[in-house]
Amino acid sequence: MKQYFAGIDIGSTMTKVAIVGDTLVSSVIGPTGPEHRRLANKVMEEALNKAGLDFEDLSYVVATGYGRINVPFADKQITEITCHAKGIYSLLPTAEIIVDIGGQDSKCIKLKAGKVISFVMNDKCAAGTGRFLEVIADALGVPLEKLGELSLSAGKAAIISNTCTVFAEQEVTSQLANGEPVANLIAGIHEAIAVRIYSMANKLKISPDIAITGGGAKNIGLVRALEGKFGCQVLVPPEPLLTGAIGAAIVGKETYENAAGRGETLKRSTMGLQAASFFS
Amino acid sequence: MADDKKPRALATQAAAKIPKFVRGNMSATLKAKEEGKKVAYAYINDGQDEIMRAMDIVPAWGESFSGVCAAKRDAEQYLQKAESDNFSRSLCTYATCTLGFDMLREEMGGEMPPGAPWGGMGRPDMIIGSGQQLCDPRFKWPQATQHYLQDVPVFVGSMYYPPWDPNMDHKGQEKIYVKYATEELRACVSFCEKHIGKKMDWDKLAALVDLTDRTWDIFIDTYELRKAIPTPMDTGDAMNTMVPLTFNLGTQEAYDFYADLNLELRQKIEQKQGVADEEKYRILWGAGLPSWFALGDFQYFNSKGAVFPVETTYRNAEKVERLNLPKTNDPLEHIAWRWVRFWTHWYDKARNRPGSIPKVERIIEYIEDYKCDGVVFHSAFSCRSWHAGIVQQAEILRKIYKDIPVLIMEGDIVDISSYNEADTHNRIDAFIEALETVRSKGN
Repeated sequence: MKQYFAGIDIGSTMTKVAIVGDTLVSSVIGPTGPEHRRLANKVMEEALNKAGLDFEDLSYVVATGYGRINVPFADKQITEITCHAKGIYSLLPTAEIIVDIGGQDSKCIKLKAGKVISFVMNDKCAAGTGRFLEVIADALGVPLEKLGELSLSAGKAAIISNTCTVFAEQEVTSQLANGEPVANLIAGIHEAIAVRIYSMANKLKISPDIAITGGGAKNIGLVRALEGKFGCQVLVPPEPLLTGAIGAAIVGKETYENAAGRGETLKRSTMGLQAASFFS
Repeated sequence: MADDKKPRALATQAAAKIPKFVRGNMSATLKAKEEGKKVAYAYINDGQDEIMRAMDIVPAWGESFSGVCAAKRDAEQYLQKAESDNFSRSLCTYATCTLGFDMLREEMGGEMPPGAPWGGMGRPDMIIGSGQQLCDPRFKWPQATQHYLQDVPVFVGSMYYPPWDPNMDHKGQEKIYVKYATEELRACVSFCEKHIGKKMDWDKLAALVDLTDRTWDIFIDTYELRKAIPTPMDTGDAMNTMVPLTFNLGTQEAYDFYADLNLELRQKIEQKQGVADEEKYRILWGAGLPSWFALGDFQYFNSKGAVFPVETTYRNAEKVERLNLPKTNDPLEHIAWRWVRFWTHWYDKARNRPGSIPKVERIIEYIEDYKCDGVVFHSAFSCRSWHAGIVQQAEILRKIYKDIPVLIMEGDIVDISSYNEADTHNRIDAFIEALETVRSKGN
């Protein structure tokens, strides 16, 4: 009988599910919101429906991300750092550094053969995170998803000296008032984030095989700015938001198969998938 | 409230006695005021402990008081008070906490602010400080305090040690630094004599200096018992058991405490009682003061099978024979030598490893002696002189030693506003996974 494994990554902004068998079978991405548990059930249901599977068809479920403890039906919780490493290794096996730019934090992970050797995180301030880009997009009146393309048309990147979100927003507004083109300002913001990410990655031994995950990876302007800073091409997986969920599913698969290799059958969580309800 | 948390099942009995020590130190300042004894604001690691004890001056430790305020999560009112007089939050929060406390007490005509943790500290009759490289606020903290306690005399000496330079042999310089430090201590004695109206009892001082030597020795002998696998005590406890060494030097109680702890640890080793249910990873607390309001994080590490058999923080002692101190009949000169050599005795080792520095040599020594799998640093934002160098230490360690897993936690000592438990635990989880990765690779 074919076996399936699910990974669910509850980030601060988005919740992602990936179901894998021999390959990726199905995936769903939805906004997280305040009701982690309810959404975890809902997104998992959607992913199962897409794959034509029942919850009972899953052999093992791993939860990751900041909301991982809020997944009652998960069999195991693993940090997103390990899951990103597993996910990237399966998608881009040559990568040795992962830059993950999430909604509320950013991190750099050093890995060897898909295993985490070291990591650095920025989780105390919004600088260098998706939230930073959201604030700036709002200040400039540009849709978040348009930032990347727009910045590529910049004549030159404006100099943004503040990486503090609040001060950078003021600086952008002030430069806008002085007539600086919007594209230049966005390019300047990408440059400022790239500088910050580079200095974070510099705490690890930087190698030229760098991959980017998280929502930030969907911003082509930011990717280009990072490439300029790192001096090499940055690898982007097909769907950067899914890396952690895929990694979680792979961790589940490995955990299950390792146990089977020892002659053990892992017990599933007794908490099945509950119908999504506001009160659950 | 930190006080409401369940005590750790595997903590040492000795650590459980520490609140009594701390309360005792604080209430001694209040009792001294009633009995007409002199109370002095004092600062740790200034080498002035035996001088105060020999002259019956009761020390009031601001750093300890601030730590208690933080542990009880009751520091905010004092921090805000200091902030209201333009002291920045980015200054040392030990200093700003006590300054806020002093400001409140003076506004109340010298009465203790209501609800001051554990009864508060007595108003000082003098302030005995020392500017030294360990702690930059100390150059101005005593004078800043005097701004609010204007009738209280202040002494600020200085106890330096030779700077580290890989191309310079420090041994010739040590004598110059010791001579200077000895004169500073002599000035401290003169200041105390003037303000308490009696002369120093030099025989008593010599006896207390000898008692401190013996306390340093038994402290190190005891802490080195933690090399045992499983370790019988971890840093979570050491952040408490440091109290007698840090705040009660020159007292028999401090010596006796470590004698008792020594006995207890030997018993635990014999019974193979470890800190964690199953000791999977041994970690060095590489540097940094802890967040006093989040000591429960050590339990979180323990719950993951991670223990801390050793730390650099508060291990401000060494076996005296290892320091190879020159003989002298002057107790002040002995204190100065002890202080200077404590810092310089890693210099030769560092010089022999290109690119190293003494603080990193110390970390490497502990990693190897205590068989540690990884290193955790805590970077407290409001303590610059020590914590600002942590990232550099971590980088040097990886460069000259090996790519050992390192976690740099971020927070503060007193100011809880920078702390996020979920983020901190997330980092700890990821660090444990990295340790497991390295372990599974057989590194």
